[in-house]
Amino acid sequence: MKELEEVLKDWEPVIGLECHTELTTLQTKMFCGCRLSHDDEPNTNVCPVCLGMPGALPAPNKAAIQSIVLAGLATNCEIMKRSMFYRKNYFYPDMAKNFQTTQGPIAFCMGGWLDLEVTGAAARERYDDGTLTPGPEGGYIAHVGITRIHMEEDAAKMIHVGGIDGRIDGADHSLIDYNRCGTPLIELVTEPDLRSPEEARLFMEKLRQIFLTLGISDCSLESGSMRCDGNISLRRRGTKKFGTKTELKNINSFKSLHDGLEYEIRRQAEVLEEGGIVYQETRHWETSTKRTLVMRTKETADDYRFFPEPDLAPYDLSEEFIEDVRSRLPELPDARRDRYAQSFGIKRSDAAQIAGDPDVAKFFEAAMEGKDIKLARSVANVILNDLAGYLNAEGKTVATMSITPAQVASLADLLATDAITSSQGREVFQAMAETGKDPAAIVDERGMRQVSDLSALEPVVESVLEACPDQVAQYKGGNTKVIGYLVGQCMKASKGNGNPKLFNQLLSQKLG
Amino acid sequence: MSAYIEDLDAALIAKAVKEGSISALEVAQASLDAIDKRDPQIHAFIQVTPELALKAAQDIDNARAQGKELPPLAGVPIAFKDNMHLIGSRTTCASHMLENYESVFTATAVQRMLDAGCVPVGKLNMDEFAFGSSTESSYFGHTCNPYDIERVPGGSSGGSAAAVASGMVPLTLGSDTGGSIRQPASFCGVVGFKPTYGMVSRYGIVAFGSSLDQVGPFGRSVHDVALAMNALAGRDERDCTSQPWNIDFTADLNSGVEGMKIGIVSSLNNAEGVEAEVVDAINKAAQNLTAAGAELVEVELPHAAAAIAAYYVLAPCEAFSNLARFDGVRYGHRPNDARDLADMTSRARAEGFGPEVKRRIMLGAHLLASGVYDKYYYPAQQVRALITEDYKKAYEQVDAILMPTSPHTAFKFGELSNPTQMYLSDMFTISLNIAGNAGISVPVGFGSASGLPIGAQLIGPAFQDHKLLRIAASLEASYEATQCAPGFTKKGGLLS
Amino acid sequence: MSLSLDDVRGIAEYARIALNADELTEMTSYLNDALERVLEPITHFELDGVVPVFHPIGDLSNVMRDDVPSNESLPIDVALQNTASQEDRFFRIPSILGNGGER
Repeated sequence: MKELEEVLKDWEPVIGLECHTELTTLQTKMFCGCRLSHDDEPNTNVCPVCLGMPGALPAPNKAAIQSIVLAGLATNCEIMKRSMFYRKNYFYPDMAKNFQTTQGPIAFCMGGWLDLEVTGAAARERYDDGTLTPGPEGGYIAHVGITRIHMEEDAAKMIHVGGIDGRIDGADHSLIDYNRCGTPLIELVTEPDLRSPEEARLFMEKLRQIFLTLGISDCSLESGSMRCDGNISLRRRGTKKFGTKTELKNINSFKSLHDGLEYEIRRQAEVLEEGGIVYQETRHWETSTKRTLVMRTKETADDYRFFPEPDLAPYDLSEEFIEDVRSRLPELPDARRDRYAQSFGIKRSDAAQIAGDPDVAKFFEAAMEGKDIKLARSVANVILNDLAGYLNAEGKTVATMSITPAQVASLADLLATDAITSSQGREVFQAMAETGKDPAAIVDERGMRQVSDLSALEPVVESVLEACPDQVAQYKGGNTKVIGYLVGQCMKASKGNGNPKLFNQLLSQKLG
Repeated sequence: MSAYIEDLDAALIAKAVKEGSISALEVAQASLDAIDKRDPQIHAFIQVTPELALKAAQDIDNARAQGKELPPLAGVPIAFKDNMHLIGSRTTCASHMLENYESVFTATAVQRMLDAGCVPVGKLNMDEFAFGSSTESSYFGHTCNPYDIERVPGGSSGGSAAAVASGMVPLTLGSDTGGSIRQPASFCGVVGFKPTYGMVSRYGIVAFGSSLDQVGPFGRSVHDVALAMNALAGRDERDCTSQPWNIDFTADLNSGVEGMKIGIVSSLNNAEGVEAEVVDAINKAAQNLTAAGAELVEVELPHAAAAIAAYYVLAPCEAFSNLARFDGVRYGHRPNDARDLADMTSRARAEGFGPEVKRRIMLGAHLLASGVYDKYYYPAQQVRALITEDYKKAYEQVDAILMPTSPHTAFKFGELSNPTQMYLSDMFTISLNIAGNAGISVPVGFGSASGLPIGAQLIGPAFQDHKLLRIAASLEASYEATQCAPGFTKKGGLLS
Repeated sequence: MSLSLDDVRGIAEYARIALNADELTEMTSYLNDALERVLEPITHFELDGVVPVFHPIGDLSNVMRDDVPSNESLPIDVALQNTASQEDRFFRIPSILGNGGER
């Protein structure tokens, strides 16, 4: 197979996404009062409604409909006042009624969009034909249309027993746990506007940031509370007609989404260039072998026999209902990024990273509470470097760690005022994370205060110059780089407490 | 001692129990005895629930002994169509599919009758999953018409009508999707009421056509039916199509029809296929209403002819989807030697469902297919709009419309063997379900030729059910009080 | 245009109703009879511009419940009491693709 860059010269990928998100932050299921808790013992949170018992009827969860309206408002959708639930009829026992209650041609949210800023290496995945809209920090802006977001219910979990690795193929029998059945689920469908795996990844990432900020889901790709399918086809560069698409499933990370799509682009290009046919089929991304495999071939489109759900009255959402939801709309990641960049003066890319995670953003703002905005850069640095590294290594999150915003602010302050060096900063962070002590206490305990008193530093410089006649000679001979070595000797002599910037200045003066 | 309840209606029983002239336990036992004696002949019951009945009756007697105020229908034996869930009973829908299905909850309508003091004596026969007009399609065998055991009791709530007509219980509940309460009431000479859609909760009633189904009572008098409606009506948060309603249906019941306008649709009443004795009986009923002070007004229902077609599109589509859940996984019949899941489900359904159920499912599955949907389903919902509008216009001129319940009296078993021929006999009852309005069948004597009961149907606008009952009570008053079928009466009952 | 045996076989497969050859023939003639005798009239009405009514419920709309647990989940023995096959706390079904060991 050709490399992606090669393929892009001749072919234009056309990608659309279907993203399912469980509304995990609600208390109850979509159509019954069972609790939302998938991890309980099998079939604990089940009732006549979600078990599809004869005679049971659905009663929609108001908070779920508020959540989807919130999602629609946050993604620039039009909120449709009039809409109906529909039944999607197909036989599969993970859907207890053998139909899924979903929405018809008109969903609660229609016709939205999101803009993506694609920068750096990511931008190289898109062929530049000169029509791209430039981004504020290089790269370009991709405008992605959202067709609709509709409300539906999730299916039960099945366990396939007796096959290899729990696969359905070759399984001896299967077991069904209906705890998840009926979980409120919103499905967002994009227009086929995405043109690269990176754009797809960025879109999902952005969507996740938005939904997390709205607080409507825990958005875990790993546990499956956020799931994504990609539809992808290729067309000859310069042509308009869509090629045959394949549907990519089983994506459980942003990397899988990117890598699966990239593989499909390269695979389809190879098939097409060899004069073959791309079949409309569902393919499954296998992480271990890094390839896509056919799940099933769709000979004809499935006929789900949709019709309006007779058990549920139609919706005619009032202006008050929509405005009530709008009033709960929090500051969204893009707006927050701009605010951080403007009012705190931190780098736009740093601001975007902090603003993208509501817990981190909250932490940042708590750390900055009552502080001079000059401290912001240092706080941002500690969060994005020390803290992010620590959480990554420990497998923790901002929500589950014990480090407080005040501790981070205090460490940032020590760094910003040159009281400690950056390498000391890392040590203090580590100690703070392990012991829970405040940075100032750690610094005192370990005698780490950076010494910036010139009268204390001068003798150190004098003794180092004396001890290193060779390097002094080299410096005077024009090799000014050797000053780095001398600063290092000064630091060593001061047991790491001396201010390296001041050592440098003093050395330059004396040698100059 | 054994009590006779044949001549007692619900109102009298409740009164006697409240006064203490009879105990709830005696009444319950009398009902169970009557079932023991008569049901082998009639076969109205699929299951009798003596434990539930005696326990409920004992509770009422205890409450009375403790001086507590008794609910309005305390001690009245009741039985439920077997598509209604009642904890402690099986709910079979008269199907092999659900032969052993134990109710896991109690239907709201059932619970409301129990809360009103009714004593549950059993579950009643019906057409399988309520698909039919004769109760012949029950997996457990047909129910006989108490007026002539060679004849059908009507359907699908045939057991509900026959149980009342044969004096085994004074009150039953049925469900009506296209006439399934009114037509058997007509065939068995009792009162059967289909309330406005949304008046009574459907929660816990095994669904047939969700936008058409409505639960309603059978009794031997309009007054009993009104008492039952007092218990049944009102919003249930579990049924999102139910609506708030709080009115005493008995309050104006005897206020008469003076000055009211009753609509007559001549083209319908004299349509092809309506038997002469039925036409005569309806004309007589019209005269009686005039005599009571009502004015007859000719009205038009221009789209009535489309109702049967629309119904047989909508009902099978909804039924197909509602019955998809019977896949043998969570409940219901399941073959134990299936090759795979699809084989298991296909055979569970092939073995578990009777022929008419399969036919309706297949018809619905076809009608909803893409390409077919636009030809039938969508137009049927448009026709629904037209029919609803027709009724609205008619009700601007009249308070209710009078017409036959059925074009003929009870037919013999096997007489209507072609399913589509059976469908066409629902001509008077079906359009009401499409519009969601209320209708009641009131006994108006016996056919001059057949000697069998004839029911007159009164239909009224949505949520004017109390007014419709008032008109029905007035019509009823122009006839002799409704008795049990001959052979099932026992003059000189307990209170005499 | 009437339905063929093949059409009806396809519908039966979708609707999960096993039919033998005789039943298939009978079902086909029933469906065609129902379509021609009972349903055909629906195709003859002038319906241009008629807004369909899907629910006979007047102006009822926006029926929702609050997001509060009902505490009405079923005990496990009740949830499973009507199933023909269970294992531990699960509903058990045969092999979905039919290529496993169980028969």
